[in-house]
Amino acid sequence: MNYFKKVFWGIFIAICIIQNLAKAQVHNTQIRGFVDVIAAYQQEKSSFILGEQDLFITSDLSDRLSFLGESVFKYSAPSPTLFDVSIERIVLKYNYSGNHNILIGKHHTPINYWNDTYHHGRVFFPTIYRPLMFSTGIIPLHTTGLSLQGLNLGKYRFGYDIMIGNGLGSSDVVDNNIFKSLTAAFHFKPIDGLRVGASYYRDIISSSTLATHQHHGGAVNNLSRTLQQELLSGSIAYFKSKWEFLSEATMAFNHTDSTGSSQNSVVYAYAGYRIKDKFIPYVRFDWSEYGNNEIYFKKDNTTSYLVGLRYQINYLAVVKFEYEHVRSNLTGLVDKYTAQFAIGF
Amino acid sequence: MMNGANKIFLLVVFIACFNSIESIAQDALGVIGNAKGVPASLTFVELKNVMKGEKQRWKDGTKIVIALMKTNTPIGQTSAKKIYNMSGDELNRFWLALVFQGKTSAPTFFNSMSELEAFVAQTPGAIGIVKKENTNEGKLIPVDGKKEF
Repeated sequence: MNYFKKVFWGIFIAICIIQNLAKAQVHNTQIRGFVDVIAAYQQEKSSFILGEQDLFITSDLSDRLSFLGESVFKYSAPSPTLFDVSIERIVLKYNYSGNHNILIGKHHTPINYWNDTYHHGRVFFPTIYRPLMFSTGIIPLHTTGLSLQGLNLGKYRFGYDIMIGNGLGSSDVVDNNIFKSLTAAFHFKPIDGLRVGASYYRDIISSSTLATHQHHGGAVNNLSRTLQQELLSGSIAYFKSKWEFLSEATMAFNHTDSTGSSQNSVVYAYAGYRIKDKFIPYVRFDWSEYGNNEIYFKKDNTTSYLVGLRYQINYLAVVKFEYEHVRSNLTGLVDKYTAQFAIGF
Repeated sequence: MMNGANKIFLLVVFIACFNSIESIAQDALGVIGNAKGVPASLTFVELKNVMKGEKQRWKDGTKIVIALMKTNTPIGQTSAKKIYNMSGDELNRFWLALVFQGKTSAPTFFNSMSELEAFVAQTPGAIGIVKKENTNEGKLIPVDGKKEF
């Protein structure tokens, strides 16, 4: 393409964008937020814990273009102010046809139900903390990239997400290697309250990759060789006025030329039952197991049993009480009592 | 003296009457829509799908804009119950979650019927739920062939 053609197409695209924005009726901008505070008792010590302050903004820029931003303020010991601000999501969405959208920006990777539904809104979490699979390093929490999305298609309300993005080890502004991560997810909702989904994730992780919260939930080992990772995930969620059930599983396959393939599995199951309108007692079970030749994830085989009670004051305020018993390869036996007060505003 | 069986029978009749009085007390609702995009009639299933944010556009491509009365108003509470099968609080939570997920745009909530009707009249693709008896019948969109539900 010669110089004039490039200029022509550049001007053409700019005019299209300007025309679209000129037609825009800037309305329906919403600023909302979530905060939580926690009290915990563990190993004969009790603590008060300041949770996250999550701010999110949504805005319709035109009848096809919209914006969503989510920023979290939270405690961080290394920071000079002891607090950090992190950009959790910045998503520009263009609705190009019917229920089909194209999205660009930083997303919560649509790899499973929890990561694509609750984000940092603690008032929505059915339990106080995320399931343990989110602290194993297996789930790629964020992806900065481009995705195609379809929602509520057909009788069974089929949905899909196809995403390419900067892979594990890269930052929000530059990829650390030539490989892009690929996420392909689909789900369907055959009846009210039920959602069944599955996904595939693939990435090539370069040697010397250090995990950060940018992408991973949890610590992983430094790599001395390039690794190919594939994740297969499945989820089933059922939330109706009385019963709540959510279970997700991910199998992670890591492969290097020198160490071969390892297989790792994480799973959790949550169940709750609403009694007396505002009270929901619940239980959760978490389990993780790692292959003997695993070199990337911390091999922390863990089993956890959790029982709790959620009191839904109203849609913007919730109190939860939990007891959790954890058996971990790395930390041994842990018993923990936790209470949380989470609000939205 | 009434025997035990009679007492139970009267109690059941009383509860049944009370429930039916309560359901009669719920306002009859109607649907209004902007001239652009909104079809001339809907089925109740289509209405529910639209009002739950499951459709982003009408058949002609116009963006769907949902207008509801606030859930602390009687019409808002009746709309929540009849269309969403939820309490007002559950409906607020439903929409907050959906918007937070980035799946759809939030509806516009109103304090008064006149504001809602004016908004729907002025906004292409807008659809709103109104109290049937306060609305000009000619404006109402039939749902399953009826102008009220």
